[in-house]
Amino acid sequence: MAGRQKAAAAAGKRGPPAALLSPPSSEDEAPEEVSFGVAREAAETQRKLVGAAARRHRELLKEKRRRRQELFAEQKKRKLLPEAVLQELAAAPPAGAEAQAAAADRGKRRGGGAAKQRQGQAQRQVKKNERRKGGARSEGNYMAVRLKDQSLIGLHQQLAKDFLNTQLYGPGTNRVQANEFFSLENKKNPVKKAAVQFVDQSWGQEKKQRAMRFKKRWLATQIKRSGV
Amino acid sequence: MGEFEVHRVRFFGLVPAGVRCLACQPRGGRLALARTDGAVEVYNFAANYFQEKVIPGHEARSVEALCWTAGDRLFGAGLGGDITEYDLARLCAAHSVDGGGGPIWSMAANGSGTLLAIGCEDGSVKLFQIVPGGIQFERNLDRRKGRILCLSWHPSGTHIAAGSIDVLRVFDVCSGQTVQRIMVNYTMQNAKRECIVWSIAFLSSGTVVTSDSFGRVQFWDWERGTLLESHTVSTSAVLSLAVSEKEDSIIVGTSTGATYQFQLLPVKMGSLEKRWVRTKPFQHHTHDVRAVAHSSTALISGGLDAQLVIRPLMEKMQKKGYDAVLRKFIFPHRRLVSCARKARLLLFQFSQHLELWRLGSTDGTGKDGEVLPLRRMPEHLVQLKSKGPEHIYCSCVSPCGSWLAYSTASRFHLYRVRYEGNSVSVKKVPKVPKLLLPAYQLQFSSDSGSLFVASARGSVHVLQLLEPGGCKHLHTFRPPSGSPEAVYLLAVSADGHWLAAVGGDWAIHIYNLKCFKHHCTVPTYSCAVTALAIHPVSNNLVIAYSDQQLFEFSIPEKQYTAWSRMVQNCGLHKVWLERDSPITHITFNPKNPSHILLHDVYMFCVLDKSLPLPDNSALLMNQSTLKQLPETARQRQLHAFKICKKFQPLLFADLLDENCLVMVERPIMDIKTQLPLPIQKKKFGT
Repeated sequence: MAGRQKAAAAAGKRGPPAALLSPPSSEDEAPEEVSFGVAREAAETQRKLVGAAARRHRELLKEKRRRRQELFAEQKKRKLLPEAVLQELAAAPPAGAEAQAAAADRGKRRGGGAAKQRQGQAQRQVKKNERRKGGARSEGNYMAVRLKDQSLIGLHQQLAKDFLNTQLYGPGTNRVQANEFFSLENKKNPVKKAAVQFVDQSWGQEKKQRAMRFKKRWLATQIKRSGV
Repeated sequence: MGEFEVHRVRFFGLVPAGVRCLACQPRGGRLALARTDGAVEVYNFAANYFQEKVIPGHEARSVEALCWTAGDRLFGAGLGGDITEYDLARLCAAHSVDGGGGPIWSMAANGSGTLLAIGCEDGSVKLFQIVPGGIQFERNLDRRKGRILCLSWHPSGTHIAAGSIDVLRVFDVCSGQTVQRIMVNYTMQNAKRECIVWSIAFLSSGTVVTSDSFGRVQFWDWERGTLLESHTVSTSAVLSLAVSEKEDSIIVGTSTGATYQFQLLPVKMGSLEKRWVRTKPFQHHTHDVRAVAHSSTALISGGLDAQLVIRPLMEKMQKKGYDAVLRKFIFPHRRLVSCARKARLLLFQFSQHLELWRLGSTDGTGKDGEVLPLRRMPEHLVQLKSKGPEHIYCSCVSPCGSWLAYSTASRFHLYRVRYEGNSVSVKKVPKVPKLLLPAYQLQFSSDSGSLFVASARGSVHVLQLLEPGGCKHLHTFRPPSGSPEAVYLLAVSADGHWLAAVGGDWAIHIYNLKCFKHHCTVPTYSCAVTALAIHPVSNNLVIAYSDQQLFEFSIPEKQYTAWSRMVQNCGLHKVWLERDSPITHITFNPKNPSHILLHDVYMFCVLDKSLPLPDNSALLMNQSTLKQLPETARQRQLHAFKICKKFQPLLFADLLDENCLVMVERPIMDIKTQLPLPIQKKKFGT
């Protein structure tokens, strides 16, 4: 109740004609007659209100943005070293900086070369030590290759071989291991034999190790006994 | 036969490479074969299917297609993108031309052998003209997307059919345009899998035959673009296809190792309408059959299980005999093992490395058939890897075991091996004389003082070996009337006086090593020589030919010996002549001058010249029956051929000393377990 009264009072202060804001009387009556000028004024004020609201909204956003930018600038400034140190570094060996840039360049190329190396065939490799002459560089896990040795031909050939491999041995080709294949004959023969199984050296590792340890101990006791 | 202690060696881990391409020489009677490791071999049909030429492979060379062209020139192309011509006289890759389209998947020569068409990875078909001395690029045909996996010329040379992924195209050669494009997997519901057209053939009637990865063989009418007939032969891919010259028979090879024959037969007796019918199924292989060929009388297939199978067609054979029998070749027709007798060492030649082994020893004795326990196990002394991507042509170890030599296409290496107690050291001999490489055969003299190097154009180089580790070129022998072919077999006499050399033209020349002169030539025979050896005492040259004939030629007298004439007059036993594999090694027993020891892949034989020869009615392999007979009956039935079939398949057999033999076997199962994966075979009840 109080809210509605306040709103009505606020509306009254702005001053749209009371006629427009008056609550509708009964539905039987015809709409009220309003003159053109009155209507025009009403529309104008309405427009002004909306425009003002939009302007205020825009101002608010701008203010927010400005505040955020300042905050970031502040944070960035906090991260960097103090001005004095930066200036000192900038002045100090420009040669060192160039070497760094060159190393970064070579590193990029090497990265590309290494990627190609994976796809190409075995190529000659330049020894890592040969390159270590110029500029200090950190020890890294990389492979130096000659770009001349990497060729497009190797890549095409590898793609062709991969295609052939997938078509003949890829999924959907129903391939089977050799022992299963050759066991079929053993199973279907008139004299049935066991399936073909390939000896795996890792079978019975524990037993083998225990046997070896026992053998060592036993030999030691034998030697001791015979020695004594 | 005598009692021998046999060193049964099974640690030679030879795995032959699978067969990738086959090409029948039109009107020549030769078959060119390419393996997956890049090796190219030529088999001569007339010489009892002898493997007469071998060009070892190369790490970077992959052969996807082989073609014979006019003038008996052999071309190969592979995934490296090059078209290579093979020099069959010098046994090497002569020159190669870059195709210019990336990896080459297929190659075909036109009917007259003057043009080569290649199908490339980038989808283009390129035409090359064959000129003396090489090939020349002519033009490109219309290029579309999709790699060209197979190619076939129409017999008239006007059109080319090419198979790709999901599609088959027909080009008009004159204009270069694609005149027909047929979608191959149209009727398959399983649209997710693409249909690869693995091989194609163009018949003169305008029918295009394709085989694809769904296991179908389809016949198309290319002008109308319609499917005439479709046969599903397998659930796995049909990888290869070949048409006979008369175009009434087709052989196809599948991934499961089965091959099928299709024949064009009339629908009813006497009717004119003919249809293609699948007639004969064969299961000769266990792994993928990637190459098939159709000669005028036989179906030929080669699989990834390294077997070459030749199945003569009975309807083409005039009479039933040994000509009509199935032939299977898995091992090479050359010696890959050298033996140092005195040092008891074996040298195994692989394609890219050599292994030197010392044989074990035993103290025990036993009776016939017993297995004796080893006191010392066989030792793997040295493994020598060949430098570079080329494969090894030949290798040899000296009889004393202190020299080792091998040759690749561009390198020749000689090593000095020293044994100090338990350790072995191998040192390369520097400054080897410059010879024309490659060396096709190497042989050390029996006193290990010289090395004989078989080279191109019939020449043999003599190198003198110097202590402590050096080598000097002494002399080069050349045949009196030059020869374009290379020498592939050598034999040296035990006293170091004579040297026998056989070239690719099958002429045997004998040279005198004392005065470095040509001594004589053995009368030419119509077949290839497979093994050669000189008797240590009588200096008789024993020759084994590929048609299983045996000859003995006396070198000092320059004529065949009396025993050899007797053998030729009586003729050899029928069972002996019908053996499948050639004799690859002949050796002698110094204590028994009348004995000759020979072996082939399936038998080992001691030939006793002092005993009578068997005639056709007697049993050739009678060793087991003789054992059971009493002494008197045995004397009556003894004959010269004492054959033992206990050790099979035999790669090498030699006599180490008076009663010690070494037999190097290679069980087939050991090879099969190291091959690429086979297709699963579902059998009921397993």
